[in-house]
Amino acid sequence: MFIMVFLAKRLAQGTLIVVLVAFVIFTLLRVVPGDPVRLMAGGMAPETLIEQIATEMGLRDPIPVQFGRYIASVAQGDLGQSFMRPASGAAVGGASFDDMTRSERARVLDLIAEAAPKTLQLALLAMVFALIVAVPIGVAGGLHPGRWPDRMALYLGSVFVSLPNFWLGIVLALLLSVKLGWLPAIGYRGFAYTVLPAIVLAVEMAPFIIRTLTVSVAQIMRQSFIDIARIRGLSRLQIIVRHALKNASVPLLNLLGVQFSMLLGGVLVVEFIFDYPGLGLLTINAVLQRDFPLIQGIAIVTSAAFVLINIAVDLATTAIDPRLEY
Amino acid sequence: MSEIDIPQPPAKPVRTLTSRIWHLAWASVEFRIGLCVFTLLLLAALLYPELRGIDPTAMNIRARFTPPLLLAEGFSWAHPLGTDQLGRDMLVRSLVGLRYSLLIGVTTVVLMLVIGCAVGMVAGYYGGRIDMLLMRLTDAQLSIPMIILAITILGVARPTIPAIILVLGLSGWPVYARVMRSTVMAERSKEYVRGARVLGASDARIMLSLLLPLVLPPIAFVAVLDIARMMIFESVLGFLGLGVQPPTPTFGNVIAEGRQYLLNAWWIATMPGVFLFLTLGSINLMGAALERARNSVYGGQR
Amino acid sequence: MTGDSLLSVQNLCVDLNTSAGSTAILRDISFEIATRQIVGVIGASGSGKTVLARALASWLSPPLGISAGRILFQGRDLVADAGLAKRLSGREIAYVGGNPAGALDPTMTVGTQIVEKLRAVRPGISVTDARKRAIELLSAVRIPAAHQRFHEYPFQYSGGMMQRAMIVDALISDPALLIADNITQPLDVTIAAQILKLLRELANEFDTGVLFVCSSLPVACDASDRVMVLHGGQVVEQQPPAALVQRPRHAYTQGLIAELPRLWDETTPAPMHGDARQPIMSVRGVSRSYSVRKPGGLGKVQVQAVRQVDFDVYAGDNFGVVGESGCGKSSLMRLLTGLEQPDSGEVLFEGTNVSTSSSAELRRLRRRFQLVLQDPYGSLPPQSTIGAILEEPLKIHRIGSARERRARAAEVMNEVGLPPSLYHELPMGLSAGQRQRVNVARAMILEPRLLIMDETLSALDQTEQGKMLSLFERLQAQHGFTYIFISHDLAMVRRVCSRIAVMYLGETVEVAPNRKLFFDPAHPYSRALLSAAPTLEQRRYRPEECLLEGEPPSPIDLPPGCSFANRCPHAFDRCRLESPRLRSSGEGALSACFLHQPSSQRATTAELLR
Repeated sequence: MFIMVFLAKRLAQGTLIVVLVAFVIFTLLRVVPGDPVRLMAGGMAPETLIEQIATEMGLRDPIPVQFGRYIASVAQGDLGQSFMRPASGAAVGGASFDDMTRSERARVLDLIAEAAPKTLQLALLAMVFALIVAVPIGVAGGLHPGRWPDRMALYLGSVFVSLPNFWLGIVLALLLSVKLGWLPAIGYRGFAYTVLPAIVLAVEMAPFIIRTLTVSVAQIMRQSFIDIARIRGLSRLQIIVRHALKNASVPLLNLLGVQFSMLLGGVLVVEFIFDYPGLGLLTINAVLQRDFPLIQGIAIVTSAAFVLINIAVDLATTAIDPRLEY
Repeated sequence: MSEIDIPQPPAKPVRTLTSRIWHLAWASVEFRIGLCVFTLLLLAALLYPELRGIDPTAMNIRARFTPPLLLAEGFSWAHPLGTDQLGRDMLVRSLVGLRYSLLIGVTTVVLMLVIGCAVGMVAGYYGGRIDMLLMRLTDAQLSIPMIILAITILGVARPTIPAIILVLGLSGWPVYARVMRSTVMAERSKEYVRGARVLGASDARIMLSLLLPLVLPPIAFVAVLDIARMMIFESVLGFLGLGVQPPTPTFGNVIAEGRQYLLNAWWIATMPGVFLFLTLGSINLMGAALERARNSVYGGQR
Repeated sequence: MTGDSLLSVQNLCVDLNTSAGSTAILRDISFEIATRQIVGVIGASGSGKTVLARALASWLSPPLGISAGRILFQGRDLVADAGLAKRLSGREIAYVGGNPAGALDPTMTVGTQIVEKLRAVRPGISVTDARKRAIELLSAVRIPAAHQRFHEYPFQYSGGMMQRAMIVDALISDPALLIADNITQPLDVTIAAQILKLLRELANEFDTGVLFVCSSLPVACDASDRVMVLHGGQVVEQQPPAALVQRPRHAYTQGLIAELPRLWDETTPAPMHGDARQPIMSVRGVSRSYSVRKPGGLGKVQVQAVRQVDFDVYAGDNFGVVGESGCGKSSLMRLLTGLEQPDSGEVLFEGTNVSTSSSAELRRLRRRFQLVLQDPYGSLPPQSTIGAILEEPLKIHRIGSARERRARAAEVMNEVGLPPSLYHELPMGLSAGQRQRVNVARAMILEPRLLIMDETLSALDQTEQGKMLSLFERLQAQHGFTYIFISHDLAMVRRVCSRIAVMYLGETVEVAPNRKLFFDPAHPYSRALLSAAPTLEQRRYRPEECLLEGEPPSPIDLPPGCSFANRCPHAFDRCRLESPRLRSSGEGALSACFLHQPSSQRATTAELLR
């Protein structure tokens, strides 16, 4: 019962947030200089033609009217059609499509649906890598504050966080792919292509996990119930696994919620470097081509994902620590 | 450990929390390492390009693709880090890039701090409806992935330095607003704030003269880490072609250009990255040391 | 009553080893505990009593270490065999600490953790058996609906309930020795009295020896068969409580006993109120409730923090407000000082309504009534110097030039006994007593007429309290202050206040002159409070007669009728239906109890509906 009310409330709030985000992006795209129709039609197109296309597409209506129309269709599950991309061969960008008519253009939803699973795969693999590296380092650091595992956590964290992802991507591609030939780097033709980008992303995420864990584990180990647990006769292993790690997982889960946008930024860059056909690459190309509907669609999908992830995180943390529910 | 009743040693000389944080941080090895590296790099960035008198955009086609010292055949002492595809000196270009990067990083963080702290202070102090409104706004802002917002604006508008600072600063404040709000809320319920209200102090007076000096330092110390984060963002933007535009060298655009010559002149893309890494590393070491010092000082305090 | 020697400590020494050398914390401690015997340990903070408790629980960690002596538990030396000590801890030697709220993992249910502990120390037991045993014991310590509470989380327990659960946790492995380290310290007196009674019963029932560490001599005497006085790391004497109180041998004990305030000492004159019959502050039917999120659900519920409070404070009076935690004292303080507005009723200061004053009016009023805060650590802004803190009120009210303000600050510092050298210091290095002096100085720098003291003295030790009280008396004589003391400390109130209001669950249940309240209280709750007060004197009221088992009802869903009915031994049917109002109970006292009100004086329907 409680869960249902909670979900309803959070989903309602989330919807509001998504609409707000959509509105901000929508308005932003229409007030900044740069006419997408000009790009669509090509530099040579006469002014009258551009005006004609723009009016047909409703781009000359007042912004609230345009937004109302847009959000109404979004509510029906239609994110519109790309300005630039044909319905087939979506991943190629940059060419000009002068003679495009409306019917031939790709649906934004399809483009996103095609790219999203790839990004999800990349993000999950990266998360697994990051956790494998960061959890032992972070927990060890937290258990021995001031001693060498703690130092190591600090130095490793500082090194990892100082590696710019795009540069690391280039260097790793140069070393592991070009020089050593261990892993494929560019494009996507199978699971192996996910590994290298995932490593780069994992390096970007790991320091935050290390830092959060070090701090929270150290903090929990100082709590009186940990001290008393030993006097009550519990073994150290029992205390660490059943009590310390359980408590420390709450800040870790919260981190995942908060750092979602950072992860997305990383995905963007990494996909761009490795030409990995996911949401990130789609976004960059959409921005470079001023593909307004696509940018809006991506913004809506990502903010919805953000809302959902945070709801999931809250549910998980209240399941772990029921105090949070109160 | 909780209240254990051993006789306390005589009290140490009392210092303010802020100075205790500095002292503690200064006592750690990592802070000193970070500071040394950072000072060296900063001095180099400020002085070297002027001393050498080399224009970072000056081309010299004959000297192009000179490798860095000792790392491949055909290096030249005139160009310690080699030259790029147009024969421009990589060391000078990296150092000039460092200037821009630092400038943008620091200004952005200051902007973020100002906006975030103002919003968080007001929301946390007044609570109720104002808090609700401001925090919903913050949530909405947090749920727009910052990088998408940034590249959207910069990709569609023209990326100038003020625009970059504005975009990065505007997209980064919500985190500060949240932290500020929660600390202010915690402080506000403390007795000395209540005491000040009973004495008749106005809200503005309590916020500015009582709360701000108390809650800002711990946040500002951690903001050092964000300078590094913002420098990375700046270089990411440059890399995507949405940062400071060439021919002005920045880490991002130099590496992006160098990427095309990765196979025959690997140093163009990698060397500026080493510089960037060193700078970020030194800032992060200092920031991490400050953060730890803060945690231990405040951990013992409250 | 006592059996064989269970624990024998011989010449135990504990040192604090630092780089600067080692300091002795405990020296030559020797004593014995027999089965079913409760040995009290009493000492000031810094006397080493907690270290002693922890040494026995094998909970000493560097820099603390045992340097000499033996701890013989059932004949085996725990100092020589650390492995044995570790095996025994939690199993044969159980420990209950003074911080029940932080004793268990907040993310797991109490039951799960008790079962976990039992199975950790007695691996043979099945989960089902362990669970059955835990529920049995939880009901044995009189936790209501134990099988339900078993599945609740620590934060859903009140302090008293949690302490009971921790006792279960300690006793579930059937230990031979229980170390009770300050277990009643965080609890209210009436709850603490219940826990002590329980401890005594359990020691007999479970054949357990108990080491009862405590900082209050009266509590230790109430609880123990023998009391050991620890001073400067040494046992200065040990005697049965009655002998100790009558014939203390050591000067320290004598001092301790002499210093204890007395509640029923006829020679203590009850402070009389001034002759002015003009109230300086009047509280008229004040109520205040707060909306809080409903626990475990959505939507708001009302917590009635203050309900229909009525009293007058006369000029020159020392007025006391007493009650246990959660009785609404702090909420009332916020209403009195105008920090919050009451939902109904009014607070008048010298005839002006504080609750409805404009902010400018309120600021002017505030020059004349001030608040001295409770917590000496949270009440001073940590980043300002003492001088700046003291001058702040003058700056706010734009009084004087910088030089005059400074002179005035120096003047009040002198008056409250703060050395002038502290002017440039930060509050951090100050002792609790000095901090409270700063608080008092800050409040009186504006030369107010009324000072509201919110638990001002509760963080100070006995000696320091005494000094502060004489300071208050002196200041009152000099400046003609009126004080309102809000406190939970009956002895302090007895010493200082001329009239006292007793609060229970947001209501004033009795308002009476000092002597009347202590010698002939009208309300059963006042009597229960007096019966549980820690004192060495011959009790006028016995807890067994004045207080039933149970805890105060939640202020969220108050039962109809008198809010004390569920714990009152005299409650009858009417008490559970109607709420008694304050009525005269003679000698200038008011009490809200049907026992003292003729039944003809029926509450009107309107009152019932209120």
